[in-house]
Amino acid sequence: MKDNSPIENVAKLARIEITEQEKDFLGGQLAKIIDYVDKLKAVNVDGVLPLRGLHSDAPVLRDDQAHVSGLSRDILENAPAAEGNYFKVPPVIE
Amino acid sequence: MEDLIALTGTQIAEQINNGKLDEGEVFSFFRGRAKKLNASLNSFVEIYEEPVGAADTRGVPIAIKDNICIKGKRITCASKILNSHRAVYDATVINRLKQAGFKIIGTANMDEFAFGSSTENSCYGVVKNPWDNSRVSGGSSGGSAAAVAARLVPFALGSDTGGSIRQPAALCGVVGFKPTYGRISRYGLIAFASSLDQIGPVTTNMVDCAWLLNVLCGFDQYDSTSSQAAVPDFNNSLVDDVRGLNIGLPAEYYGQGLNPEVKSRLDETRAVFEKKGAKFVEINLPHTEYAVAVYYIVASSEASSNLQRFDGIRYGLREKASGLKDVYFRSRAAGFGAEAKRRILLGTYSLSSGYYDAYYVRALKVRRLIKEDFDQAFKNVDIILTPTSPTPAFKIGEKTLDPLSMYLSDIYTISANLAGLPAVSIPCGFTKENLPVGMQLIGKEFDEATLIRAGYSYQCATEWHKYLPPMIAD
Amino acid sequence: MNYQTVIGLEVHVQLKTKSKIFCSCPADFDAPANTNICPVCCGYPGVLPVFNKQALKLGIRVALALSCKINDSIYFERKNYFYPDLPKNYQISQYKMPLGEKGYLELPGGKKIGITRVHLEEDAGKLIHKDNYSLVDLNRTGTPLLEIVSEPDIADTQEAYDYLTYLKLTLQYIEASDCDMEKGSLRCDANISLKLKEAAELGTKVELKNMNSFKGVRDGLEFEEKRQANCLETGEKIFQETRLWDAEKSKTYVMRSKEEAHDYRYFPEPDLPDFKVARELIEEEKKHLGEQPLDKYRRFTAGYKLSGKDADVFVQDSWLGKFFEEACGHFNRPDKIAGWLLGPFLEHVNERGRESIKITPQNFAKIIQLFCEDKLNNLAAKKVIALCINTNDSIEGIINKEGLAQVSDSGGLRGFVDAALAENPKVVEEYLAGKEQAMMFLVGQVMKKSKGKANPKVTREMLEGKIKNLKSDK
Repeated sequence: MKDNSPIENVAKLARIEITEQEKDFLGGQLAKIIDYVDKLKAVNVDGVLPLRGLHSDAPVLRDDQAHVSGLSRDILENAPAAEGNYFKVPPVIE
Repeated sequence: MEDLIALTGTQIAEQINNGKLDEGEVFSFFRGRAKKLNASLNSFVEIYEEPVGAADTRGVPIAIKDNICIKGKRITCASKILNSHRAVYDATVINRLKQAGFKIIGTANMDEFAFGSSTENSCYGVVKNPWDNSRVSGGSSGGSAAAVAARLVPFALGSDTGGSIRQPAALCGVVGFKPTYGRISRYGLIAFASSLDQIGPVTTNMVDCAWLLNVLCGFDQYDSTSSQAAVPDFNNSLVDDVRGLNIGLPAEYYGQGLNPEVKSRLDETRAVFEKKGAKFVEINLPHTEYAVAVYYIVASSEASSNLQRFDGIRYGLREKASGLKDVYFRSRAAGFGAEAKRRILLGTYSLSSGYYDAYYVRALKVRRLIKEDFDQAFKNVDIILTPTSPTPAFKIGEKTLDPLSMYLSDIYTISANLAGLPAVSIPCGFTKENLPVGMQLIGKEFDEATLIRAGYSYQCATEWHKYLPPMIAD
Repeated sequence: MNYQTVIGLEVHVQLKTKSKIFCSCPADFDAPANTNICPVCCGYPGVLPVFNKQALKLGIRVALALSCKINDSIYFERKNYFYPDLPKNYQISQYKMPLGEKGYLELPGGKKIGITRVHLEEDAGKLIHKDNYSLVDLNRTGTPLLEIVSEPDIADTQEAYDYLTYLKLTLQYIEASDCDMEKGSLRCDANISLKLKEAAELGTKVELKNMNSFKGVRDGLEFEEKRQANCLETGEKIFQETRLWDAEKSKTYVMRSKEEAHDYRYFPEPDLPDFKVARELIEEEKKHLGEQPLDKYRRFTAGYKLSGKDADVFVQDSWLGKFFEEACGHFNRPDKIAGWLLGPFLEHVNERGRESIKITPQNFAKIIQLFCEDKLNNLAAKKVIALCINTNDSIEGIINKEGLAQVSDSGGLRGFVDAALAENPKVVEEYLAGKEQAMMFLVGQVMKKSKGKANPKVTREMLEGKIKNLKSDK
């Protein structure tokens, strides 16, 4: 993140268009943050397992019962663009 | 009706139930206050014309942070990217509130997607602190805290990922409670960081807090991370007795960076507890200094993935584009504010190939060490007392150009999220400038009850929670 | 040339559940577009996944059938990438801790193809491409998928075909999936490379996609095998790339290169906890395994002494196989039963449709028995089958009603034989002159006169006897 190229790659992965100005501005701020979080490198984590979840409760699985939500219309109404029953998007294959 | 402000939420509810107060009049009263004072505070995103609740119930108004779904209502996370998005379903907590008779008065302003500690990152503008309009309300649940502090509403819901309920509660002089991770269903809470987020109540006092927790807590089949642990009746914890309670004082929370006035208030708080028979124990949480770093990696990583769904395809803002790819790039560029972009980029970076082990995995390992610090400490103490925030409310604009300094204002609240522990911020005095100061009590996993007992006992001995901001005392 | 082909297959199958993997929407995407959708499978803000128990059970069943080691505790991860058929822009999948690992599938020839891993994930939706826009249908989104990855153990294109055939049969036998490639409930990608026979190192691997049938997989791999061999011969470089099979043009071509390399940023799904795979669940699923296709193949070839080709038909068509076995239980001549089943019977089945078949295996066996005991001739047996295949009427009844019982006694046939000889003196001459076909004609005449009832063997013997007598009379 020290130079501009990682931020470009990261912005591309995140699908966010960034201006040249933002590249410098955000890039600079990010570099500072990353410098800060780099302090974790000083911690001895030998033999420590990553903490993935907080609970040991046996999770409840869902029984395989199907029902129609009835929200299809509401969901389609929220779409920025729709055609009939479909969500409509600009061409996927360009 | 003006004396409604002097009543607690629970008292108002009682009077509605026994017919002394009319539910409709109570709603109109608070709605009128909210309408009038919101102009200066900006704590609401939307104030409803009509209460939202179950028709066959009676109850008290409540404000909902703008990141919890209310069926049929605009829910935006204070982000342009959600535009005029309408929720198509009720969050589990909304169902529970409706069943309990609560009437939703509107949605509370917040930092965009809960990214922030000052509510300056809202697309609707900053929420002002009711005690001093030139200062921030804290964040991200700044709207919830400011609204309750200014008595625009007796109750509010907030969400807390790294202190987002407790820090604004401290800065606005109200009670803000973050329960144990898994205590309250997250279904319907628009996710910031799934492994850290918890919904919680914002109230003026511990009695109201206990009542709301009773309504909100419990297992939910729609949230696989919600706990099946039994929930006690928290009203039974409203007992004025802390005799023999062992309270831990972690050295790491009282060092450099702590505002001397805040420190003095905490010393006074300690004296109150001691007088009531609690015992204090010096403890250490040695990995505290890494909490902010761990938090920003874990929370941003999860956020970067959680926020990928905001793409302009099924809902929300879509920028004009001739091809699909540009829909993504432009909608997300136009829809997300600067802080959201920073966090998404940081999170994407931490998860990306080549950095994953060095950042994300390492952060999860240190997260375990932080949790183990608490496990160790709780062998000797029942609860832990710390300041909620290193400083009282800061000036609007003071930290906006330096994200890192803003992040560090959550330094005392973040660890409870990383360890999944319950924690509450309770008003414990004022600075010379008449700004509220909050203390934080951190409890053992699923032991909200002890926090409620300690907080209630403290409020039995003090009056801090009864002070009103000057804007309404006038 | 001297090249060894190395193939690995990646197969996705939809598991046969009633509801989707993480929500209750029906897993039936034949419904009108976007009707089987809900906030969860549409990736709405605030929703959370809840794991379908049946998907886990079917996954375990498949892992068992493929002799995989089943991990005690599994967890999901997020695979992050943007695509409009993927509402959350991440797929909940498994990465580091799959459901099953290190299994194998044995082929009829005895070769075992290693299974690297079996993991659970959610399916994406469907896109319909129009001229200058695309449409998105999310009915399929969230259908449970099982990804089955083979080791690069497959040595030629036919073996790939056989692997797919037996994998499909295995999954169908245990009722885990329909495995219908045309409907998309089975999808297959391939990795193929070539190396010199004696070389230890593998060659450059090419990923092959877009095959829509087992034949397509075989054809695509064959093309790629030849193309790569040619490259190696001419010294042309083979790139590690993804190529698409074009079935119409019978060739593979390079998929448009992605702007950036994939970086899926896998990380553990924080919305789902770890799932313990309980011993009891595994034991329960073992009960559903039953006979595996290869066992059945071996039983049919060794036990019933059927040819590999015939056995294959019965293994691949369980219904037919069951019919066969039941019929053999009533008349123990597997060769004859198989012959008649795969011949005339199957013809009717194909013509009239499986649903219309009413005849029981017992009645079918009776017809074959009557034939073998010379009580029905070939033609009559066919006619009886044709008449009662859709009715399952009494066999005797039909034979009597149609007068189909074979006439084998010389008394009954004498009249027809005499008439045939008397009417065809020229043919008799020809026969005497050594023309064999003349006899066939005469038998045919008797058949015609007896309305098909004459026993052809007895008829021929009588004709031959009479002609012999005629000759000696002269």
